[in-house]
Amino acid sequence: MNASIQFNNVSLSYGEIADEVEVLKSISFAIDSSEVVSIVGPSGSGKTSIIMLASGLENATKGSIKVNGEEIVGLKEKELSEVRRKNIGIVFQSFYLIPNLTAVENVLLSLEANQQYGLEKDAEELLGEFGLSHRMHHLPSELSGGEQQRVAIARALINKPKIILADEPTGNLDSVNSESMIDLLFEYTKKSYTSLVMVTHDNSIAKRCDRIIEIRDGHIV
Amino acid sequence: MVILFDFQQFKLINKYALRDFSRSYKKLWVVISTLFVSLLLLSLTFSIKEALNSEIENNSKELLGGDIQVDSDIDPLPNQVIEQFNELGMVSSTIEFATMLSKEGESPVFTELRAVDNKYPLYGEVETTPQDASEKIFSNNQKPNVLINESIQKLLNVSEGDDIVIMGQKFEVAGLVASVPDLAESAVFGEFAIISMDSYEKFGLSSGGSFLDHKYRIKFNTLNEIKEQEDIINSIIAYDDRIKTRLPGQSGQSLSRVIDNFSNFLNLVSVSAMVIAGIGISNTLLSFINQSNTSIAVKKSIGFPSSFIQTMYFYEIMLILILTSVIAYLIGVFSPLLANEFLPESLGINLQPSFSALGYLNIFFIGLLVVLIFSIPSLYSISEIKAASLFRNTFNPVSLNFSFKNILLLTILVLVLTIYFVSQTNQKLYTVFYFVSFFGTMLIFYGVSRLLIALIKRIYKFSNNSYRIAYRNIVAKKSLAPIMTISLGIGLTLLLTLSFVANNLKKEISDSIPSLAPDLFFVSIDRDIKGDLESYIKEVDPNAEIEFSPMASASFISLNGTPIEEVVSQNNRSAWVVRGDRRISWSEKPKLDNPIVEGKWWEPGIEDELFISMDSRAAYDLGMKINDKIILNILGRDVTGTITNFREVDYRDISINFAIIINKAFANKLPYEYVGTLKSGLPSSEILAMVVDKFPNVSAIKIDRILKQVSEVLNKVFIAVTAISLIVIVVGLIVIVSAVLVQTTFRRYNNLIYKILGVDFPTILKAMTMEFAVIYGTLIFFALSVATVSSYLVVENALQLTWFFDFGLALWILVSTAAVSFILILLANRSIFSPKVYPLIRNE
Ligand SMILES: Nc1ncnc2c1ncn2[C@@H]1O[C@H](COP(=O)(O)OP(=O)(O)OP(=O)(O)O)[C@@H](O)[C@H]1O
Ligand SMILES: [Mg+2]
Repeated sequence: MNASIQFNNVSLSYGEIADEVEVLKSISFAIDSSEVVSIVGPSGSGKTSIIMLASGLENATKGSIKVNGEEIVGLKEKELSEVRRKNIGIVFQSFYLIPNLTAVENVLLSLEANQQYGLEKDAEELLGEFGLSHRMHHLPSELSGGEQQRVAIARALINKPKIILADEPTGNLDSVNSESMIDLLFEYTKKSYTSLVMVTHDNSIAKRCDRIIEIRDGHIV
Repeated sequence: MVILFDFQQFKLINKYALRDFSRSYKKLWVVISTLFVSLLLLSLTFSIKEALNSEIENNSKELLGGDIQVDSDIDPLPNQVIEQFNELGMVSSTIEFATMLSKEGESPVFTELRAVDNKYPLYGEVETTPQDASEKIFSNNQKPNVLINESIQKLLNVSEGDDIVIMGQKFEVAGLVASVPDLAESAVFGEFAIISMDSYEKFGLSSGGSFLDHKYRIKFNTLNEIKEQEDIINSIIAYDDRIKTRLPGQSGQSLSRVIDNFSNFLNLVSVSAMVIAGIGISNTLLSFINQSNTSIAVKKSIGFPSSFIQTMYFYEIMLILILTSVIAYLIGVFSPLLANEFLPESLGINLQPSFSALGYLNIFFIGLLVVLIFSIPSLYSISEIKAASLFRNTFNPVSLNFSFKNILLLTILVLVLTIYFVSQTNQKLYTVFYFVSFFGTMLIFYGVSRLLIALIKRIYKFSNNSYRIAYRNIVAKKSLAPIMTISLGIGLTLLLTLSFVANNLKKEISDSIPSLAPDLFFVSIDRDIKGDLESYIKEVDPNAEIEFSPMASASFISLNGTPIEEVVSQNNRSAWVVRGDRRISWSEKPKLDNPIVEGKWWEPGIEDELFISMDSRAAYDLGMKINDKIILNILGRDVTGTITNFREVDYRDISINFAIIINKAFANKLPYEYVGTLKSGLPSSEILAMVVDKFPNVSAIKIDRILKQVSEVLNKVFIAVTAISLIVIVVGLIVIVSAVLVQTTFRRYNNLIYKILGVDFPTILKAMTMEFAVIYGTLIFFALSVATVSSYLVVENALQLTWFFDFGLALWILVSTAAVSFILILLANRSIFSPKVYPLIRNE
């Protein structure tokens, strides 16, 4: 009942019937609210696929996915957008800040998507807490990778979503930057009782999580 | 699209759009520039047309010369009628007729002479140099004075104070007429002179012929109850059907029609330019969307729905549309001031800028339709951008979205655009025809580019590197072929068609007509001098071909009992035949060059019955049939006649032709005069000088002078028309350049690969040349074909001339367009050739 994400016999296949690739094979799991979970597994096992399904950016072939209690399989684009807006923050491996927007504008984008206007102060405050007060009005091209990822996390967190989905958030960062970034992420999700689902290849990071889900060949082991 | 009434949402869209525009407007320069150029053309057309029309409307009394005009043609009105007019207001009477102005040693000049009383003009002013020259013609000098226009001054080589001879009487030139308020045609385009009514009467200048035109203009004492006063005038003149009245609004009608036709043409050219601009908008927008695909995907991942992002981009284009249309409209509003500089002074027109919200909305609405049509398929491609790609770092470019819903929407919008244009013009059929052939041609060109790609794909075995590269570029997914064929093809077709038609017309005037036409055309020759004139000419040139025809005046009253005004509409092509006084002639036998196409010629010798032979084309237009009864008013008497046959009349040879011919036996009772033509081996100006010297009352037109005037006017019109249609090509070129620029990244990459593979620069250049040559070659083949067919149809059917193909002209247009486009394409591609791109290979 309390699960913020719930997968029930979810399958995901690509391609036509003839050369169908079954990427996820009837997997089920649940993430409780404010639980921090890492997903690990070899390359190509289906980790990213799980994140995509949970965020509603990919459609499950079979099964049921509930986000914060709401069934999202079968929803239309517009309804999915709303579920995402209200519940989910995403952090990508390659940051993906919008290149012609400044750091603070990138963060504000999330608030504005949720019809929350005039909250520049909040965005600036959060960026300040992330140690970016001197980089607030710079374009992504003027920021280092670590700084960019911190902006991306701020963008995901500013809405106080119930769930953060992160796909190898440290994948493009060096170990020092990775460390401080993960600290930030953990600190803020704990503070706001947000669940965190994070794909990672880094064992030390995975071990810091409440739970590890291991994927192999489309199955949970 | 997103719910726009959500005000917060709207504010957000506004904010994002402004921000995006201010940071990436450089990528949208094509949208901005092409939209601006075509909107500007539309706006200029609209404003100048409005200014001209309002000038005509505001000056309707000046154009008529009074509150009402009474026209009694050949005969003056009796004094008691004029006295009745005098009770209502001030009356000014004028007489217009054609005569010869001559000067010792110069060839006489056929001139429209206007005799005016001292009350003329009742409205407006006669502009002269020196300024007081018009007063001089009324002063009671021993020697009478005349005002001449600039054209006469040049032809006769006279200046102020010199003497010229009119019908044997010496006149002193008082000055030059720059303009008269009523825009007399000959004052603007031909030869025009003014004398006083006193001199006219004192020297008995009247040629007595049937070309006299008596006009009486009245300025009412009181401007209340205008309608009642008009009714009084009409009742005063009711005793004679031939006397006609004209009211202020009517005088500008034919002028307004010319303006409407021309502005309609300009509107169609503008909308063509705009549609081509639309192709550019569509292409630019799509590449803009593809360049922004990660930003769009990120927005989607954050939770913005596609509709929001679409609305944002649409809003951005709307901003561009509003911006460009406002600027275009404002320039348009003030353009009449500039236009004044280019209008001939003799028109006496002073255009005023005027602002109207409706005028702006008109331009905005047309722009909106075009922008909608061309941005919908691009904007809907946004929904195909997958945010999931952000997880895999791969983005597939999206293409135009032609879903069933979109196609339906586009069809409706195109129909709305067409209907909107059709509803605004009088030439509905032509406008529909233009739209159909325009979109048809567009489809043809699209088909052609596809066909070209399909054909080239079949022959893919090229050993030579250049060929292979050119081949790959043409069949590539981002091939230039479709966009280049459509955007340049339409403009080129339009330009070729217009120049072909223009050239055919010019050739007709400069070659065909002069070889057929006589040298001199004698207007109104008195019956008594006809014999003398004929023998005098035979004496001067025994080989001269002279032809005289008798002529009288008649006017149409009714057709089969119905008044002619009710049968024939104002817009009828042959309305001139039945309007006002018409010269008629007669003969015993049918003329050789006027073959009968229907009915039979009459039995000779029947005196008490009137038989009528009609020009077959006029008869067709006016809906006349053999054996129809016509009432003609001949010399004040209504006579009923029967149509017995239709003749095919060719007016092109400018010999003596009459729309109406009656039986000679009946006509023998009528007073008449002659018209005649002369074709001679001697220079026409010499013969003319001798004839006018000997017979001062004879007037004759030099045909070459008329042809020169016509071709001068036509030339100006053609230059304007071709220059305007060039705008379509310019817009097309901008679109092509933008398409090339969009491609440069892709091409640069390819070319680098080629270089790495050891292909040298000349080979790449050769490949590009070849690619261009193949696309352009296909394009001109079809543009030339379409232009040939359409100009043939116009020349043979609408103008009824013999069509010919001018190879030199076609070559000139095609080669120059090719050169300009190729140079532009090379310039747009120049970054490909720069050595600086080599290091880029590491990142690409
Ligand atoms: N569009 C597609 N069509 C077919 N197969 C696909 C498609 N997208 C992904 N796959 C396959 O799905 C499988 C799972 O991919 P996924 O990205 O989830 O793996 P992953 O566990 O995140 O791997 P990595 O650690 O390398 O990021 C892979 O074998 C991949 O080849
Ligand atoms: Mg992955």
